[in-house]
Amino acid sequence: MNSAQPIAPASADADEQFLDTVTGIADGPLAGLANRIDQEGYYPLDIMAQLGQAGALGAHLDGNGQRFDLAIAAMQRVSRRCGTTGFLVWAHQVCGLYLEQSGNPALSGERLAAHSQGLRFGGTALSNPMKALSGIERMALVANPDGDGYRVNGVLPWVSHIGAGQYCGALAAVRDAQGNDLGEIMFLLDCDDQVELRQCPAFAGMEGSSTWGIRLNDYPVTPERIIASPARPFIARIRGGFILLQVGMALGVAEGALESMIDVEGQLGHVNQFLDDRPAQLQAELADMMQRLATLARTPYDTSRDYLLDVLDLRAQGAEFALRAAQSAMLHQGARGYVLSAAAQRRLREAQFVGIVTPAIKHLRWEMDQLSREQWPQPREGAQ
Amino acid sequence: MSEQQRAWRQYICLACGLIYDEEQGDPDGGLPPGTRFEDIPDDWECPLCGVGKSDFELYEPPAAAAAPPPAPASAPSRDGIVIVGAGIAGWSVAQAVRALDREIPITLVTACQGDVYHKPELSVAISRDLASEQLARESGADAARRLGVRLLSDTFAVGLSPALRQLRTTRGTLNYRALVLAHGARPALPAVLPASLCWRINHLHGFAGLRAALHGATRRVAVIGAGMIGCELAEDLAQAGHSVTLVDRQQAPLESLLPAPATKRLARHLADLGVTFMGGVEITALSADANGKRIDTRCGQHLEVDEVVAATGLITESRLARQAGLAFERGIIVNARTLATSAEHVYALGDCISLEGAPCRFIEPIARQAEAIAHAMLGIEHPGYGHRTPVVRLKTRRLPIVLRGEHSPDQPWSVVTDDPDYLLMEQRRDGRAISTLSVGQPRTAPPSTTLEMQP
Repeated sequence: MNSAQPIAPASADADEQFLDTVTGIADGPLAGLANRIDQEGYYPLDIMAQLGQAGALGAHLDGNGQRFDLAIAAMQRVSRRCGTTGFLVWAHQVCGLYLEQSGNPALSGERLAAHSQGLRFGGTALSNPMKALSGIERMALVANPDGDGYRVNGVLPWVSHIGAGQYCGALAAVRDAQGNDLGEIMFLLDCDDQVELRQCPAFAGMEGSSTWGIRLNDYPVTPERIIASPARPFIARIRGGFILLQVGMALGVAEGALESMIDVEGQLGHVNQFLDDRPAQLQAELADMMQRLATLARTPYDTSRDYLLDVLDLRAQGAEFALRAAQSAMLHQGARGYVLSAAAQRRLREAQFVGIVTPAIKHLRWEMDQLSREQWPQPREGAQ
Repeated sequence: MSEQQRAWRQYICLACGLIYDEEQGDPDGGLPPGTRFEDIPDDWECPLCGVGKSDFELYEPPAAAAAPPPAPASAPSRDGIVIVGAGIAGWSVAQAVRALDREIPITLVTACQGDVYHKPELSVAISRDLASEQLARESGADAARRLGVRLLSDTFAVGLSPALRQLRTTRGTLNYRALVLAHGARPALPAVLPASLCWRINHLHGFAGLRAALHGATRRVAVIGAGMIGCELAEDLAQAGHSVTLVDRQQAPLESLLPAPATKRLARHLADLGVTFMGGVEITALSADANGKRIDTRCGQHLEVDEVVAATGLITESRLARQAGLAFERGIIVNARTLATSAEHVYALGDCISLEGAPCRFIEPIARQAEAIAHAMLGIEHPGYGHRTPVVRLKTRRLPIVLRGEHSPDQPWSVVTDDPDYLLMEQRRDGRAISTLSVGQPRTAPPSTTLEMQP
């Protein structure tokens, strides 16, 4: 796919062919690497490049027909075999979305083309800002106006799918010299020699996500790096799509778990019948979510309250579902799933990641609570 | 059994749902405890809404189950009943289910604290100087304890998948054997009235906010919308000493419900109370500044007030129903007998439903709807809910307005009695009166009219 040129909506055959290619990569080279990626920290840029060439990293872009359904389906196929790579696909896809939606020619031209084809790689550093804009925590990066741009300082604890020569979308709170709050900017952070990448502690899994701490010391944000200023309207516009894309990760991990339950049905079905969350039950729930996903994927830039609630609900349900499916797969597989190289025990950690990655289940519920509350007049000053 | 020994009875007001308990009487209304219903004088009025004795009927509270029915060998599901909403409708279902089954788990999900109160009181409580704590008859936690209900307060229902019997909430996912939607309706605020600038008196929380804002001073209050709630609130606020302007697009208060002779009397009554009626105007902006709030109209008028109360009607929130694929038309469409929605194992009642294409937002039917649902959910034989048009009583205390029967806005009204203090009108079809409207109080007993009421 060529992101520079819009293409007509693909035919059903072309869609199928596309997903077959993605499945071939996932079930082929990726499946063999899953444990090395999870435990040894193998960062699968070779796989990502193949996925980019297949069109899996840019299907959701306006320039490619805004096929969020295909982008999510591709992430799902990948996540069935490796949750970490599914996460990288998501981080890469949303970074592409920032570049394209920025409307900044310095970002949406060749840079986006190379990104969506998997020739260059970059992720997203919006975990802290998303929480900060919702009022859950403080913005970690601060930008001071400097000429026609900004100087940015601060520390982000962990940012994935970055490395030397890569990049990520980031947000900073803008303050003037007196410390006055001037809103926020969103910018592309290039991991060049002005950026200090710091080693993170060893994680329980997902080690191949190339996750680093970032320290910025007067990092220059020039106009060609600006994604959005002010950032809030931009975030409001992309928030639905940002969260919706993650559903592909959740459902992919769950599908992988379902497969490993079905794998042992012939041998262990006579005892597995006594377990909760049996395959048929999980399949029914998966079908229910897939149906809603298909509808929501058609209007990713809808900013209405109802749409956002539907997306948050599906994302939260997907995370809970992945956790239940992974747990159940472990119990269905028994000892064979507990072998260190078994997919069943790896998926437990992948599903846990889906439940804690921003927005985590608790944040999703918090957001839904906020959106559901009625607004009231402020009490008058001096009122009793 | 002698009269003395006969058990105390209760009677329910068909207009507002208030229960008259013979044992307790109505001391404020001159009925000492122990006054039998038949001994109540004919001029006695419902202490809440003011209708007469003839609008009460015998009420039989659901009895406590004698013994828990044995659990079936293979229960359809280990999950219990989940109720969404802790207004009168939600609690009525919990109570009706408990009366039939002491064991089945009940979970009640509510966005508020679940305190039990009688909603019609909200539109007459400012002038009576009642705080929300006084209006709450029982705390949500106490009611939950009494009925053996797991109460999820401060919790929103956000997703529903009937095929999975799954309700998702902001405090986790619940699986149900049967689900009851009793979440009511929310105020329909036109875009020109931002929620951050106007009060809505649709539940205890909104009432408490308005009361706090008005407390301890005389305020200028604009009530937007001269429907039933708007007129009641305007009277109540004026009685409490506030300076009230009632604003509506129509030329007269309650114009969409009542014929002109009645709206004229109502307008005069409100004017006598000091309410300024600003009719035939369309609001184009509501804004706030340091001095209060400002309302602008299309015809160039403006109004400066301290507080704004919107009474612009109710609408049923449709997101959950739409997501779950429930049939919906101005409300959740239910079977008029069983209150079942279009999805299996999902029921609905109260303000959120639509019967024959129209919502029916009155208190009186709720207890009977809850009974029907409780029986249907537990698989116990029951004749079902029989819908009848409730008596409509405007809680304007000095000028009682009562609508009875199958009144229709398309049918012409004719005058039966037109005295200075009393107006009686009726609608006739095929030579028979189908509805009556009375405004004010007759000096002598009103002529009797026979209505073809639905059973």
